[in-house]
Amino acid sequence: MAAESMPGRSRRFVPPRIDGGAEALPLASRKPLAVVGMAILAVYILLAAVGPFFVADPVATDPVNALLPPSFDHPMGTDNFGRDVFARAVHSARLDLTLGIAIAMCAMVIGSAIGVVAGYWGGAVDETLMRFTDIVLAFPGFVLALILVAVLGNSTLNVGVAVTAAFVPYFIRLTRAQALSERELEYVDGAKLAGNRSARVAFIHVLPNSLQPSLVTATLVAGWAILTVSGLAFLGVGIKPPTAEWGVMVSEGARDIDAGHWWTSFFPGGMIVLAAMAFHFIGDEFGGREA
Amino acid sequence: MPALLELRGLRKTFGRGRRALPAVRGVDLDVARGETVGVVGESGCGKTTLGRMVAGLTPVTDGVIRFDGSDLDGTSASRENRRRIQMVFQHPAQSLNRRMTVGAMLAEPLRLLAGAPRSETAGRIEEMLALVGLDPAFGSRRPRQLSGGQQQRVAIARALMPDPDLVVLDEPTSSLDQSLRGRMIALLRRIQEMRGVSYLFISHDLGTVRRIADRVAVMYLGRIVEIAPTRELFDDPRHPYTRALLSVAPTMDLDDVRERIVLPGETPSPTDLPTGCSFQDRCPLVFDRCRSESPVLAPVGSYRLAECFAVAPASDA
Amino acid sequence: MSTLEVEGLTVGVTRSPTSILADVSFSVPAGKIVGLVGESGSGKTMAALTMMGLLPDGIELRSGSVRMDGRQLLDPARMTVSRESADMAMIFQHPQAALNPTMKVGRQIARVFSLQQGAGRSEAMSQSIEMLRRVGIPGAARVAGAHPHQLSGGMCQRVMIAMALACRPRILIADEPTTALDVTIQAQIFDLIRDLVAETGAGVLFITHDLAAVAEMCDSVTVLFGGQVMEEGSRDDIFRRPRHPYTTYLLDSVQKEVDPHVVEAGVDFELVGCRFGHRCDYAWEACGEVPDLVAVGEGHRSACFLHTAEVTRAGAS
Repeated sequence: MAAESMPGRSRRFVPPRIDGGAEALPLASRKPLAVVGMAILAVYILLAAVGPFFVADPVATDPVNALLPPSFDHPMGTDNFGRDVFARAVHSARLDLTLGIAIAMCAMVIGSAIGVVAGYWGGAVDETLMRFTDIVLAFPGFVLALILVAVLGNSTLNVGVAVTAAFVPYFIRLTRAQALSERELEYVDGAKLAGNRSARVAFIHVLPNSLQPSLVTATLVAGWAILTVSGLAFLGVGIKPPTAEWGVMVSEGARDIDAGHWWTSFFPGGMIVLAAMAFHFIGDEFGGREA
Repeated sequence: MPALLELRGLRKTFGRGRRALPAVRGVDLDVARGETVGVVGESGCGKTTLGRMVAGLTPVTDGVIRFDGSDLDGTSASRENRRRIQMVFQHPAQSLNRRMTVGAMLAEPLRLLAGAPRSETAGRIEEMLALVGLDPAFGSRRPRQLSGGQQQRVAIARALMPDPDLVVLDEPTSSLDQSLRGRMIALLRRIQEMRGVSYLFISHDLGTVRRIADRVAVMYLGRIVEIAPTRELFDDPRHPYTRALLSVAPTMDLDDVRERIVLPGETPSPTDLPTGCSFQDRCPLVFDRCRSESPVLAPVGSYRLAECFAVAPASDA
Repeated sequence: MSTLEVEGLTVGVTRSPTSILADVSFSVPAGKIVGLVGESGSGKTMAALTMMGLLPDGIELRSGSVRMDGRQLLDPARMTVSRESADMAMIFQHPQAALNPTMKVGRQIARVFSLQQGAGRSEAMSQSIEMLRRVGIPGAARVAGAHPHQLSGGMCQRVMIAMALACRPRILIADEPTTALDVTIQAQIFDLIRDLVAETGAGVLFITHDLAAVAEMCDSVTVLFGGQVMEEGSRDDIFRRPRHPYTTYLLDSVQKEVDPHVVEAGVDFELVGCRFGHRCDYAWEACGEVPDLVAVGEGHRSACFLHTAEVTRAGAS
């Protein structure tokens, strides 16, 4: 028996069509903020990827040229050890972006795996997991991360782990809520009849369909994670000097402001703000308004 | 030879205590090999729950599902039998995983249930797509790139993939445009001729059931109130509910001069059933006995049963 | 005498050449039930929304005229049908979704009386209960105190009808009023609509995809496809003497198997010319333009080049 739906019959009349038709508006006019966010992010990623090969050593001190204002040689000036602020900011972009994105991704993977277990199986498992996330969510993410770093010690890895842990509950909640409604859909029954055991139904079928809200939130979380990481560093409990990290730089530079050396803290601070904003614009415009 | 599927005293009650909702209240039904049994009834009559119990998606409260001679009760033999019972759902868009390609979806039952080697999958999928009237190119598409009719063809293909003996079809045509329904029925009939598969065809649409079923069971409030060969049921309905149902189904035949029997009121809530026959409050033939005793299915002719004191005098409890 | 006359209604997607309704005309005489029939995507619901001034964002009314007893209801400056001047009420497919879930149904109907006639609170409430009684709700006073979610679908549709009648409409637009209901309840609602037409002399625009319901309910029928009127005529014309290839195909599709190419092709709104062209067995080059509706009988018109070709051919020979 031949397949019959695809090929048209040769004698079939083919009517003419309207030219142009309904062309989609360019993304820039539908979601202007998202495009701004993506543009900023693109610059950051370029800086993070290739920047470190072109700029000076971020930790090399040069006391003679300490606290120079921005100039052609030092676009963002130098700090009180004579280190090039621009070089440090560029190296920091690599570290902070990597941390922000990695934290968001790890939190999403762990959170949604737990979330789908809670949402799909329900019952006592769900009950236990939800009470746990309730407790964790009672603390602001920053405070939780702060406590964890204090317990674990402040290596870069530990900071990453702590901040990840602080954001995991968000993803548990989101994925669980989505999985709860997904599991009622007929495709779940269809998957069971196709021979999938419950673990396969949960992770191969329900999980991919429950990720949409988490993917959007992950973008927001990447921004928040950068804020949290640099915030911890600023307070002196996160990543330690002399590592080139925006929070560390702001923290060190803050001392210079009184003397009028604004550039040592202004530029890294601005980098933090712009990065967090870029992620926020993207996540915000893609979340909710157009699923 | 026993029937392929035998249901005996099948019951399903959702919830417990005072809020217990009896969805299926004691159903006996046989489906023979290669036979199509239609189950019709209005919303809330328990027809979908019945189908889901047969497909193993809803646990049984009480009663027996016997398939090909062995009870389906969770033993390993019954698990193997589960492979041989598949189901097609009402909403084609919802019953397919929207993130999977058609090919991946069809490969699943083949690998997980039939244990087919990877080398054979592609060929078998192509074969199956051809059987349901789709081009092999559909294998790489995702559900949302397909029309409703094409999605339902994919759902049928998936159900047929593990080579089942019985397919439960739950309203497979009711979400499709009317012009598509006839086409889908023709496809199902052709598949049945080629594969000898049995169908349990669940629908609220009498017209559709009439065109595919060999026998029809009419359900009301969780029980089969009449069961008969299709032709006889439509030509000469016996149970007062069946009669009313058939008389008010709209028809395109302008010369049709049936007497319409418009039933008063609505189906009572299954949580609060009256003593006696559950149809008593809407029945035009109701008499004293119906309010005190419950009728059971009794012969009203050769090969047909009805559950009514008025038309089947032997229907003693 | 026509009560409602709709002419040349053209509705399109904002900032796009696509039109969802193209030059659609029909009329609803007082005391008659007129069917507007088509598959999903035919534009039948869009026509109703246009007349109620309820077009969704992104959809614009481009031209046309909507007249009630000769009085123009279409505001040419705002290109919308003004709701205040219209004597039209509408009932929907999903009554439960159309009613306010937080307000008791009696109160919802009473509000209509208060707004329309400035009736006092208790006066409006007693009128509301009277209206519920009139649409055949048993225990009207009790039901008036219920919220929509406490009522069944059939009951909610009766409430919707009661609310629509409270406006004393000259025209009732019924958009798939029984599609979501069971057939025994559908029969009750059909009886109710018929009784109301006889009693009030209102005209009904009955929108549905269900040909059998049209055959049962309507005096005359307009067949829509892809936003174009294919054929219009009396019920007898359409069901006994269909002339347009689409109508013939639609009637056939319910009864027998039809060409699969025709069925699953759907509607393509970017086609120039006859929208049925790519699905039609008779289509030829001429179909790249839109055919006019031509008279093929007394009050029976069809839009197809086949009719004019017959005339030319007959003239040439």
